[in-house]
Amino acid sequence: MALIEIKKVDKIYNNEGVATSALHDINLTINEGEFVAIMGPSGSGKSTLMHILGFLDRPTNGEYLFEGKNTEKFDDEKLADIRNRRIGFVFQSFNLLPRTSVLDNVALPLLYSKNLKNQEERAKEALASVGLAHRVNFMSNQISGGQKQRVAIARALVNNPAVIFADEPTGNLDSKSGTVVMGILQRLNNEGKTIILVTHDRTTAEHADRIITIRDGEINTDEKVHNKHIAKEVKIDE
Amino acid sequence: MNKFYYLQAIKGLRRNPSRTLLTTLGIVIGIATVILVLSAGAGFKSYINAQIEEFGSNTVTIETRIPASTKQRAQGAEGGDTAGVAVPITTLKKRDVVDIARLPNIAGVYGASIGQAISVYRDVSKNAFLFGADASRFAIDRGVITKGRAYSEQEDRALAQVAVLGNDIAQSFFGEEDPIGKTIRIGALNFEVVGVYARRGSGGFSNDDEQIFIPASTLQRKILGTDYYFYLVASLVDNTRSQVTKLSMEDVLRQNHQVVDPVKDDFVIKTQDENLSTFNTILSATTFLLIAIATISLIVGGVGVMNIMYVVVTERISEVGLKKALGAKNRDILYEFLYEAIILTLLGGILGIILGTFLSFVVAQVANAFGFAWKFSVPLIGIVISVGVSTAIGVIFGVFPARNAARLSPIEALRYEP
Ligand SMILES: Nc1ncnc2c1ncn2[C@@H]1O[C@H](COP(=O)(O)OP(=O)(O)OP(=O)(O)O)[C@@H](O)[C@H]1O
Ligand SMILES: [Mg+2]
Repeated sequence: MALIEIKKVDKIYNNEGVATSALHDINLTINEGEFVAIMGPSGSGKSTLMHILGFLDRPTNGEYLFEGKNTEKFDDEKLADIRNRRIGFVFQSFNLLPRTSVLDNVALPLLYSKNLKNQEERAKEALASVGLAHRVNFMSNQISGGQKQRVAIARALVNNPAVIFADEPTGNLDSKSGTVVMGILQRLNNEGKTIILVTHDRTTAEHADRIITIRDGEINTDEKVHNKHIAKEVKIDE
Repeated sequence: MNKFYYLQAIKGLRRNPSRTLLTTLGIVIGIATVILVLSAGAGFKSYINAQIEEFGSNTVTIETRIPASTKQRAQGAEGGDTAGVAVPITTLKKRDVVDIARLPNIAGVYGASIGQAISVYRDVSKNAFLFGADASRFAIDRGVITKGRAYSEQEDRALAQVAVLGNDIAQSFFGEEDPIGKTIRIGALNFEVVGVYARRGSGGFSNDDEQIFIPASTLQRKILGTDYYFYLVASLVDNTRSQVTKLSMEDVLRQNHQVVDPVKDDFVIKTQDENLSTFNTILSATTFLLIAIATISLIVGGVGVMNIMYVVVTERISEVGLKKALGAKNRDILYEFLYEAIILTLLGGILGIILGTFLSFVVAQVANAFGFAWKFSVPLIGIVISVGVSTAIGVIFGVFPARNAARLSPIEALRYEP
């Protein structure tokens, strides 16, 4: 079943009268449970596409159906609700709140669900699933980069979303930490989560089942991965 | 009060300790300054009012003045002025007191001379101020004699060696002992203590509590070796006719002093209203100055808070973006900042009131220690205005940038570079 369906989507940035076309005539369908990598050179529009798919930004033209519903008329409040309950984000630069414990960082989406019950339990569960049960009470600046990205994944997971968007999640990590992160994403996908990964690195992309390449704001290729890399989920941490 | 926003705000404040500290400090200083300034203003007014009270109502003072011609010769300056200590004018005599007392609308009049002498009782010795006044002063002055009595007209005329003591000097000489009937030594003479004043505690121009009051003629003839007064004080029956009375007093004095040309007057008469007008000028100038200072400190404090709020909210726009990405609604963002601003301004307000009150208290204590009749008070209006203004500034400038940030799309906020 189609989780995401976009038709004829354009994105034009307008800065002080200067129009930059970042995406042009994008048509794309992503089904529930897919693991899709979006690839392309720098400036090709990968992040722009991901932001539109994740409701962080709106398309200039075109149609977007999420879980079968046309989202054009959705207001800010409704979109916030979708981001909160249906979508998890993982960013290249982690984006953890400073001077805040690992646990509070992970619990943040639950706060905005106004779901004050079992918060701590659920956050701890999410942290355990990324192998960080022992770092619950650490502050966000007391853990390594790899651990930070796993905290970010736990935060993306905590509200049990349908899809996780990850924009260059391994971009700031060494290869070992990167492999750990990819292993976690693959496991989540095996457990049924839809994963949409943005990367410019082919090897990283080949951890997915399907690779879409973008060039100059248009979809260039869209093909299945034949020899998928499996990031053995090494006994993480310590 | 919403628990969710409250908790988020507390977390937000903890996450930004420097902002929390600086903003609170800005508010604390602003409010404390305003309270201090207004309290000091009220204290200063209470002091001035006490001074006005000291003059008594319905009184007219006659002071000496260097006549214009003499002064011109002496200093090459124009016009006359109140005589300083340097060039004594010796023309105010008993005769002037007697003649003025006969004028209509005069309730009483006395002359006063001032001296200083080593005064001794047993082993206590003080260089005391001697206030030599006619006995008629006791009917005019507001001081209350709590022990013993005043000296009489007859004693004054007879150059009697009797003294009424200010409360403090009586205390230093006699302590618990009863001073009445005791003999103290003033200069080379023995005086009998006949009365003691209640404590006046006014301080200021002269401290009555430290003075020894003796008959004017005794002071003049027996200690100073003179026969003139330093100034006269008259009290009027009807203060509304003070200007007419002043004119007739001038006539009497000119006649007695053989002055024809008013320019050569060797005295100057000031009615109560004229004396008060000086004070009132001081008072309104002071009030104006204080309001100006308070306004400036509020503006300075407010601009400080405004800047800090603006800068830190701007710095936190990417945090706003992250929260929006995680599902925070515009309202959530706005309320978090609003609660933060309210908590900050309340905290700063309370600390500012405490600090301002404490400093005002210290100022009042210091002023009292220096002998000024300075009442400690914290004007409620100062608290209301300063807390109101700083809260408004804190909330407005904490929330406006936040509202703009909340309206950005999540990605614009995430990518925002301050
Ligand atoms: N806010 C913006 N205003 C104007 N142009 C923008 C804006 N954001 C992105 N662009 C432009 O849109 C194009 C696509 O940008 P995008 O960030 O999507 O690229 P990307 O494929 O993610 O690149 P990278 O691999 O470097 O992250 C670029 O040419 C960029 O300059
Ligand atoms: Mg990008």
